Amino acid sequence: MLSLRRPGNWQGLAAVLGLALVLGPLGPLLWAVLQGGAFTELGEARVALVFWRSVWMAALSASLSVLVGVPLAILSQRTKIYGAEVVALLTPLTLLLPPLLIAQGWNGLTGWDGLWASVFTLGMCFAPLPALLAARALAQQSATSHESAWMMGGRRMALREMLRVARPAAILGGTLAFLFSVTDFAVPDYMAALGETFGVYPGHVYNHFRDTDYWAGARAAAPLVLLCAAVLYLGLWARDRWAGEQVGQGRPAETMPLAGWQWPATLLAWGLLGCVLLLPLARIVYELGVAGPEAAGTWGSRAGESVQAAVERGREDIGRSLRTGVLAGLIALVLAPFLAHALVRRTGRSARLLTTLVALPLLAPGVGYGMGAIAFANRPGWTEFYQGNLLVVLVFAGRFLPIAVFLLAERFRSVPRSRDEAAAVSGLLYPQRLWQVYLAPQRAAWLLAGGLVLVFAVRELDLAILLPGANQSAAVRYFNALHFARDGFVAAFGLLIAAILFLPVMLHAAWNSLRQRND
Amino acid sequence: MRAFIAPLLLLAAWTLPSCGEAEYDLVVYASLDKEHSEPLIAMFEERSGLKVRAQYDVEQNKTVGLVNRLRAEKDSPYADVFWNNEIAHTIRLKNEGLTQPSESEVTRRIPAEFRDAEGHWVGFAARARVIMYDPSLLEKSGSQLPPNILAMTEAAFAPHGGMARPLTGTTLSHFAVLCGQLGREQVLAWLEASRDSGIALTNGNATVMKRVCQGDFPWCLTDTDDAAAAVANGYPVKIVYPDQTAELGGTLLIPNTLCMMKDAPHPEAAQQFIDFLISPEVEEYLANSRSKQIPLHPDSKAPEGLPMPYRDYAVLAVDWEAAAAELDAVLPEFQRIFTQ
Repeated sequence: MLSLRRPGNWQGLAAVLGLALVLGPLGPLLWAVLQGGAFTELGEARVALVFWRSVWMAALSASLSVLVGVPLAILSQRTKIYGAEVVALLTPLTLLLPPLLIAQGWNGLTGWDGLWASVFTLGMCFAPLPALLAARALAQQSATSHESAWMMGGRRMALREMLRVARPAAILGGTLAFLFSVTDFAVPDYMAALGETFGVYPGHVYNHFRDTDYWAGARAAAPLVLLCAAVLYLGLWARDRWAGEQVGQGRPAETMPLAGWQWPATLLAWGLLGCVLLLPLARIVYELGVAGPEAAGTWGSRAGESVQAAVERGREDIGRSLRTGVLAGLIALVLAPFLAHALVRRTGRSARLLTTLVALPLLAPGVGYGMGAIAFANRPGWTEFYQGNLLVVLVFAGRFLPIAVFLLAERFRSVPRSRDEAAAVSGLLYPQRLWQVYLAPQRAAWLLAGGLVLVFAVRELDLAILLPGANQSAAVRYFNALHFARDGFVAAFGLLIAAILFLPVMLHAAWNSLRQRND
Repeated sequence: MRAFIAPLLLLAAWTLPSCGEAEYDLVVYASLDKEHSEPLIAMFEERSGLKVRAQYDVEQNKTVGLVNRLRAEKDSPYADVFWNNEIAHTIRLKNEGLTQPSESEVTRRIPAEFRDAEGHWVGFAARARVIMYDPSLLEKSGSQLPPNILAMTEAAFAPHGGMARPLTGTTLSHFAVLCGQLGREQVLAWLEASRDSGIALTNGNATVMKRVCQGDFPWCLTDTDDAAAAVANGYPVKIVYPDQTAELGGTLLIPNTLCMMKDAPHPEAAQQFIDFLISPEVEEYLANSRSKQIPLHPDSKAPEGLPMPYRDYAVLAVDWEAAAAELDAVLPEFQRIFTQ
């Protein structure tokens, strides 16, 4: 008989539901890969060269992300620089902007192009990932660890201790930056179009998805997916290997005084934020009204027209994208806690394997995932389901559920196991335990998990093109305008989407700030 | 807990109705710029009283787009009409058996070279493949415009110009046509040589146009709608219609194409929509729009100043069926050359 008290039953149910969400789109993809021939092309020198180039470019980008992200996290989270809260608040904003827009911003600012510009841009685009994870780890650093380091070796030793505390999170952040960089095609393609021509493996995958036999794309993508899975597993192993002592217990550490270093540290933090966000953002703002010497009107009037057009033409699409994203986020809010708890209760190799498996929907190429969804849902008698929004919501929820699971698993890891066991002994039902021990103390993280699913759903383009119910969306309108070189509109609409997605974060931060002042 | 869950339930209540699906009288897949296609579809809805579901395409971010979606949906077709902003992929769909004939009195008014003999597709509102240049930049560079397309990669011209890699869109169609015209081997050798010639190879016609506007080089091979966008944005650029000799045959014209999908769920509405789009009124709308599309219907009136094919410049005669077949054969070769 199934017991409501047994975690395994609830987690099993969540796993079955999660599997049901992803099996439809992933099934046809896996079937195509299993037909064989997925790795034969890697034997060709040209394809192997492109694959290898993608790997080392992404490794460099991810390293750059860590080199920028970790200092940003230390400076904004653990030191008293001027405007630390603002730096911490603005850092994730980059993740809301499409990397292609950032690439255009950097090229417009500096004229950089070619392979190295691509490495740099992707490094900046994904620097917030190690920054955010490291900031979270540093926020939980215990006072004991910080103060003992300070007493033993002053500022230098305290910094080393911070790096040690941030290391596991930085490794995971760097791994995620690698995964996003190695699968990105838009930025390398754009930079190759401006300067020295070079190919990357996602380009090869894209070419095959355009074959008459479009499942050739799935087979071409298999080596990339396998590489991503292997890197994720290694990243998780490295994180566990260097996890060190438990953080987050006892009194949290105070921020570190900087004395004479306050201004240089402030300049460094704002400089890094400038590279990650402010400089390309400024260029995007400039694009609002940029035109040739014979254009009518002033920069201001043209910028005004761009913003007005973005609001008028894009309003309904943004509304639709938000509604779809919210529903996908709500599904993730329900399922992710159970799956995250199942992950944190495992340790070692089984935890890493399970995490890698859970990531599979995210690692699969978007185009292939969309094709899989069509193959699954476009069948006689299913017309309403196929053309409706419910399919879109389910597909988005399945694809981005791993993000919510990973975020919650990271947060759940800091909860002492003894607290969970005490709740179990007291006779609480499993969902009550999950709520009281894990979710209620970390409501913000839970909401953030759903919010991230919403953000990724709004940004998703490949699925939006392929699924009937998703086509009238903000992403399609944005990239359609980008394709047809409507620069002012693209800048205005990109900023509008980012602002809308970022608004809840801003309000939450403002609310917290007000509460702290009143306290 | 209730205080926390209640707002989430409210949010769900706000969003859940969006999962319901409305009924549509017509489903159109459109790859033309949304800014132009959207108002025309709205105009059709208003006049016909039919409710249209439009689906739009994007190539910029390297998504695969509507053509493959049509292939993936072939066993249970959802689209009624595919409005393609070029022609080669339309013919590929026809050759794969995914379209059906859709002739009417209205479609037969379009010149024979821009419609399918079997009635599977009809062309309208074309773009020309042109050389766009900035006169002052050209003068500063001390170079000249290439006299024809094939001269673009010669040492005297290549370092001063650019073109899109022929992997997507009209550039792909253009080079498939050239393969048929000049021979596959010659074009492939030409493209191999282009990689090291110094000509800038970009990821699309809009990008190469923008690079001329930014002053990166004085000229580029692009489409008339991109050149028109540059002019509309205030850049002092001019257009040359290339290959205007009897030997070279004229400038390539690539029309928008419309086809009715095989087993389209709403064939009558689809025919009504096709007839509407190829009307002189719509062609004139597109000719007067920012993209300056070239009217093909004999009754369409071109806006003043818009050079017209056959009247103001010679147009290359193309066997589009052969070009589409050639595209199938050469695309993997093009991909091999430009994905390295």
